[in-house]
Amino acid sequence: MAGMNEDAQWIVMLGFIISIILIFLALIVNQSALIGKTTSESVLEFPKSEIQDARAEIMEYYWNGTLDQSDLEQYLYNITLERKGTIIWYDYNRAAGTLFIHYNDGSTEYNEMVRDL
Amino acid sequence: MVNDSGQLYTIEGLAAGILMLVTAYLVVSTTTVLTPQDVHINDMQLEQLGNDVLSMMDTPDQYGNPSSLTKMIQSTEPNIEEEFKDNFLYYANNATNIAGTGYDRLNLNATVTYLDQFNNMKTVTFYEQPYYREKAVKVTRWVYLPKFTPIPARFPGIVSTENQTVLLEVLLWRE
Repeated sequence: MAGMNEDAQWIVMLGFIISIILIFLALIVNQSALIGKTTSESVLEFPKSEIQDARAEIMEYYWNGTLDQSDLEQYLYNITLERKGTIIWYDYNRAAGTLFIHYNDGSTEYNEMVRDL
Repeated sequence: MVNDSGQLYTIEGLAAGILMLVTAYLVVSTTTVLTPQDVHINDMQLEQLGNDVLSMMDTPDQYGNPSSLTKMIQSTEPNIEEEFKDNFLYYANNATNIAGTGYDRLNLNATVTYLDQFNNMKTVTFYEQPYYREKAVKVTRWVYLPKFTPIPARFPGIVSTENQTVLLEVLLWRE
């Protein structure tokens, strides 16, 4: 150990600090990739338009007064199950003035109770 | 002038060079992980655009009138599919700030699913274009059909004596 001395401790310490900072920066880059992927994916998978569309269709029948006489429930239920693998179901009670709407595509479930109809 | 001293420094320089190359390769290959998110953002925007277009087409010009989508599906005219395609793509491709043409290059396939008078489900191709496995998204819209006559030949057995609802599915992709 004849050649060893205690010079240049600053340089050694700076190298140590920089390497630790690099580890944290790499972690942050890693996270950003994951976050960008999952946000756009979850927007893609969230059935906002499907729910709005089915709800608008049910209300269309309500407003023309044929909601409890039509075959709408059969159309919605059978066609969505076949084409999208999704369950849409509603229950309209004319006497009580309530309408219950149910939507479930396996990952997103939506329930709505409309009162005072 | 040329001698063979300093060989150890040469080897050290070589090793350092290889080390830097490997590090650069690792860094570059790590950043390509970022690409999947871009693909999803494109899909998300395409899906939103398609839903907006269908929503526009399914909105009547005046309260109480049928929407243009309803009229197109009930129509018996032979070239109504072309009109549907032109109308849809006019809305979808009408973009600004696209270099060159000023128009986007979206294309579509459309199918209509309905229950016929015997409650059998039928899926009919409404408009079709060659599709070569581009990355596509599907947007759907429930279309309300009031009572109508005559029955269009492209939808055999469709119920026309009472109000009904059919599902319009559009496969949308950018060429």
